[in-house]
Amino acid sequence: MNGPRLDELDRRIIEKLGRDARVSNRQIAAELKVTEGTIRSRIKRLQAEHLIQFTVVTDFRVAGSPNLVMMGIQADPSRVGALAKQLADIPEINCVIVLLGRYSLLAMGLFTSIEQLNALIFGRIRVLEGVRDVETSISVHNVKYEVGVARITAKE
Amino acid sequence: MQIRSGRTLSATTLDALDNGIIEMLRVNGRATNQEIAERLSVTAATVSSRLRRLEEMGASRVVAVTDFAAHGYNVLIAVGVKVAGREVQDVARDLARLPEVFSANIMNGAQDIEMLVALHDFSEINLFLLDHVAGIAGVDTLSPGIAADIVKFEFNVVPL
Repeated sequence: MNGPRLDELDRRIIEKLGRDARVSNRQIAAELKVTEGTIRSRIKRLQAEHLIQFTVVTDFRVAGSPNLVMMGIQADPSRVGALAKQLADIPEINCVIVLLGRYSLLAMGLFTSIEQLNALIFGRIRVLEGVRDVETSISVHNVKYEVGVARITAKE
Repeated sequence: MQIRSGRTLSATTLDALDNGIIEMLRVNGRATNQEIAERLSVTAATVSSRLRRLEEMGASRVVAVTDFAAHGYNVLIAVGVKVAGREVQDVARDLARLPEVFSANIMNGAQDIEMLVALHDFSEINLFLLDHVAGIAGVDTLSPGIAADIVKFEFNVVPL
């Protein structure tokens, strides 16, 4: 597991960017009383270490108000690692977690049609070698979602 | 299937320039207005006003996403909750108030609520589940699973 790699300055930079991701390096530098170059190199390091990234998120409504679907997958233990990669390669699936306990794998995706969901599960997930069962449930209401925290996975 | 009843912003609300700006920022959210403007052959002022409009519409937003590790969260658990004797909405709202819960959804299916929870270490699981969560009225059963590996986590579409 990752140890603490952040010092006080890193944390204060992250806090400023969390409030406004578009704030300029110059402004952060002025507020934290360090040079602009320091801010630039700190942000670069945080990005290189996959501790922060900057992206655009669009609202559910722009994407046709999809529903979050969670798929709990029971699988042959010897196939879980390979299945995780196969599931991650499916563009419609946003999130793949290797789980201990409830399921072998937890996959999540956003869907606007039940036909599209059904085609994915029957056509592309249940047919994968080692998949024993897929338990599907659909979110009918999102109560909380923290946009600013996630797992930043390395792009290959 | 259209379970969500909220109004839908039609895709036509956004034009080619909006989408061009969004695409550039998706790759590099720190690109300056000037850099975006040069690439899309418009002025920086246009980029600035488009971005402001997108944000005001609640259509999209540039965000700094920090890794769980940047906050010292080393344990992620996915917890299914069944509710008895209380409105699911009310239980979900109480759960959402816990700072460790970073996502909470009301589900159809076997569980009433699904939440993703970020914790600093394994010793916090007990305290979180058996004190904080179990102490909320209406929480009947808990089905926790521990994330051994997060292979993919890419949500570009979110509730804003």
